Amino acid sequence: MNPTENKSCCTNAIDASLRVPLLALFGGAAVWLVVGLVLGLIAGIKFHAPEFLAGCPLLTYGHVAPAANDAVLYGFCIPAALGVILWIFARLSQNPLALPLVPVVAAHLWHLGVFIGTAGILLGGSTGHTWLEYPRAAAVILFTAFLLIAVSAAATFGWRREQTLYPSHWFLFAALLWFPWIYSTANLFLNSNQAPRGVVQPIIAWWFANNLVFIWLALVGVGIAFYFLPKIAGRPLASYGQALFGFLALIFFGTWCGIPQGAPVPAWLPTVSSVAAGLTLLPLLAILIVTVKTTCCANVSCKGGSFCFIKFGMMSFLVSGILYVAAACPQYSRILEFTWFGAAQTQLQLLGFAAMILFGAIYYLLPLVMDKPLPLPKFAKLHFWLAIAGVLLFIVPLAIAGVEQGGKLADANVAFADANAVALKFLRISTTGQLLILLGAVLFAVNIFIMTIQWKLGIAKTVIAYIKSPLETSEVKS
Amino acid sequence: MKTGVCVFLAAFVSLGASWCGFVLAPVLQLGGAKQTVILQTTDNWPLQRTGDATLGLQVYRANGCAACHTEQVRQTGMANEVTLTGLGIRKPEDFSAFAKSLFVLPELASYTNAIAASLNGWNGALPKTLFITGDNDLASAMADRLKAAGVKSETRLVATGADIARGWGLRQSVAADYLYDQPVQLGSLRAGPDLANIGVRVPDANLQMNHLYAPKSVAPNSTMPSFKFLFEVRQKINGAASPDALNLPKEFAAADGFEIVPKPEAKQLAAYLLSLKANVPLYEAPFTPAK
Amino acid sequence: MSDENKSCSVPSTGEPVAMQSTTPMWIIVTTLILLFIGGVYFDRHSGWFDVKVYSPYSSAENLEAYQPKSSEGAFIARGKKTYEAVCGTCHGPDGLGKPDQAPPLAGSEWVTSKGINRLIHIPLVGIAGPISVAGKDWNMNMAAMGAALPDEDLAAVLSYIRSSWGNKASSIESDDIKKVRATIGVGAQPVTVEALMKLPE
Repeated sequence: MNPTENKSCCTNAIDASLRVPLLALFGGAAVWLVVGLVLGLIAGIKFHAPEFLAGCPLLTYGHVAPAANDAVLYGFCIPAALGVILWIFARLSQNPLALPLVPVVAAHLWHLGVFIGTAGILLGGSTGHTWLEYPRAAAVILFTAFLLIAVSAAATFGWRREQTLYPSHWFLFAALLWFPWIYSTANLFLNSNQAPRGVVQPIIAWWFANNLVFIWLALVGVGIAFYFLPKIAGRPLASYGQALFGFLALIFFGTWCGIPQGAPVPAWLPTVSSVAAGLTLLPLLAILIVTVKTTCCANVSCKGGSFCFIKFGMMSFLVSGILYVAAACPQYSRILEFTWFGAAQTQLQLLGFAAMILFGAIYYLLPLVMDKPLPLPKFAKLHFWLAIAGVLLFIVPLAIAGVEQGGKLADANVAFADANAVALKFLRISTTGQLLILLGAVLFAVNIFIMTIQWKLGIAKTVIAYIKSPLETSEVKS
Repeated sequence: MKTGVCVFLAAFVSLGASWCGFVLAPVLQLGGAKQTVILQTTDNWPLQRTGDATLGLQVYRANGCAACHTEQVRQTGMANEVTLTGLGIRKPEDFSAFAKSLFVLPELASYTNAIAASLNGWNGALPKTLFITGDNDLASAMADRLKAAGVKSETRLVATGADIARGWGLRQSVAADYLYDQPVQLGSLRAGPDLANIGVRVPDANLQMNHLYAPKSVAPNSTMPSFKFLFEVRQKINGAASPDALNLPKEFAAADGFEIVPKPEAKQLAAYLLSLKANVPLYEAPFTPAK
Repeated sequence: MSDENKSCSVPSTGEPVAMQSTTPMWIIVTTLILLFIGGVYFDRHSGWFDVKVYSPYSSAENLEAYQPKSSEGAFIARGKKTYEAVCGTCHGPDGLGKPDQAPPLAGSEWVTSKGINRLIHIPLVGIAGPISVAGKDWNMNMAAMGAALPDEDLAAVLSYIRSSWGNKASSIESDDIKKVRATIGVGAQPVTVEALMKLPE
């Protein structure tokens, strides 16, 4: 599991500077991942047994489902990604983390924000817009925390010793810029007292959702993968030109996707979106070529290591991207809209792509940062297989359910209840997949938890040693 | 480093373009929307909701109803429905043969069989839908022929598509429908049926509340959870049921001496559901309303 | 090539590097082709930013084609237009007539009569000699102003004057005009009131 890297004194100092902020970010992220997946599992079970926990007003499906999605995205993906970005920026700059205290404060602030948000949703304070459910207080905290971390990352970059820019820089910088931009826009328009009237709200919400779940996660995931794949493979990224095209085309076309075909908005909006979705195939293709060319000849044994996590994540990214484009194609959109297919694509993007890449990155960098091997490497390996099996079992039936359900809904002769019943059959398998993903996440959390405890014990020992040592020296002196 | 600045600028422009296109432009184009007028009338649409219905939208939002229900009707196209309303001197028995002889025009000839088929086994009951076509010219040519032959007909414009056929609305949803929704709850999954027209489909507040309390009492196949916490089970006062109490079938009703009374939230939610309608023609979504 | 080799060698820091190359031409050409196809698709489906055009309508014209036609309102509007072009000069845009030029149409018993045969005759053949309108006597000639109008337009004009300025009579269909026109021979002279009164109502 542990990469063999020639650690110079310089990298040692860089890694050590990130220890506290990364533990704060990853520790909370692991907890939220488990919480999110448990809530997701509850939501899944509710579909087979509508009366399961129905008496509890906090845990209705309409509360649990968005709380679960938000906990995975805001609770896990974003803070974990920020941690990995900080590390990559420090490493690429050949510079210790700038303003190391700022991300520590921001990490705690962020997790507080997610807590307030999740509690807000469960208590009925959701704003009612997908991916923006967190009430205003939580949104303000999250925005501030993100800005603080982005400032620290930018400062690390600004004081860099290594001048050469690497493709991951573009992706990750764009991500650091784009999240505050879209999050503040969406919240100022939709979460304020002066919200615009009518259908402008869902238009902005769709724009935000597309740019967060599709574009932002893609920027982060691909940026991280483009750093780790060549690093682990020991080969250069192949190649600069294609990566540049992939990056620019992704944000040039991809940011215009997201408005569904059947939306009750003037025709130009969905038309622009479907054209943009078609063109987004090109950056997907370019990113695929870069990934394949970089990894194909690499002689890296997989066996559940970071490399496999990230490779699987990139495959999921490609599949999820193609599903996304397919669902935006006018002919298919009419059938797939309003079915489980959309949920399948989103979950693949979240759990199959972003989370897998983040797992791989964290398993790689955490031992370096802590200067200690993973306490339970077998858990990490088992996590990989559970995650892969879970994602496949979760997503594939869900997507098939969506196609079947869509076909039935498009035929007015099929009763609505029958169309629904078709999907339920597949959802049973999906719920099994969710359970496996949850088990894997628990193993991940256990590893991080033990590392944190070990680190705290280590500090305690040092402190005790320190408290004892002056006494000793004083004794000697006296 | 020079390339770095160029890439940054290109990225900034791309992101800014998306913001201008999908945030700024819609706000400018649709943000100042006002009430519109129902087609061929002087009535305004939509109407401001009543107080209860406005509060009901907040109950809808807080409980995340949009996780399973959509509020938007989609339409795949338009069709002209040519309906016979009077036969004049013709008799129903020989109308089929007569209809065939009518449609000798080249543009109509290929539809003669379809018309003959639709008349097969017709007992003469009026009005009778003769033909449905998406082609405006074809429909008006047919109406002219029928008129020339002394047969009375009516051409109605109808929206088509599975949502319309399921009775979820008479036309597609458009921006105007959501003018007074705050927040707009379009939804993205149909685990439950669409609600854009529920106020027309199920116009009975008591039935709505029965459904909220015990979904299976109204729809036996329903997979909706019960929203019992919006109701209160309480002892009947002096054995008499209160006027608000739900009138449920035996197996769902409360125990003897008890009754189920909606809390204000349930009443507001029902009022909101009754306010959802998609049954008036607008310029951007025309159809011929029933008389 | 030498550049590429140089960049391939992993530097001492252990950080990844990118193989230097430019963006391949084929992907740029494909982008341009797809952009063109996308442009064509946009042109056909977007309605060019029209706020009233929703899919499945493809353009403002397409939506306009499905608006209800030949409704009462449109028919009357057509009559008003024809009236202002043909009749309004003498009878006035307000239908009150003009002294020594033309009697009023507003409140005229000739216009709002239940039977429409005589009313239709007037524009078709013209009228000459004394006539009493709304309690006042007039004596002048009117040419066959409506003879050249299509049935549809004449029906619209008559329907317009029968339903405007306080007049509330039924509308007239083009078939009614057709029937009356068939009873009139070629080169008919303007009728007098006595001749008009002999016609069926």
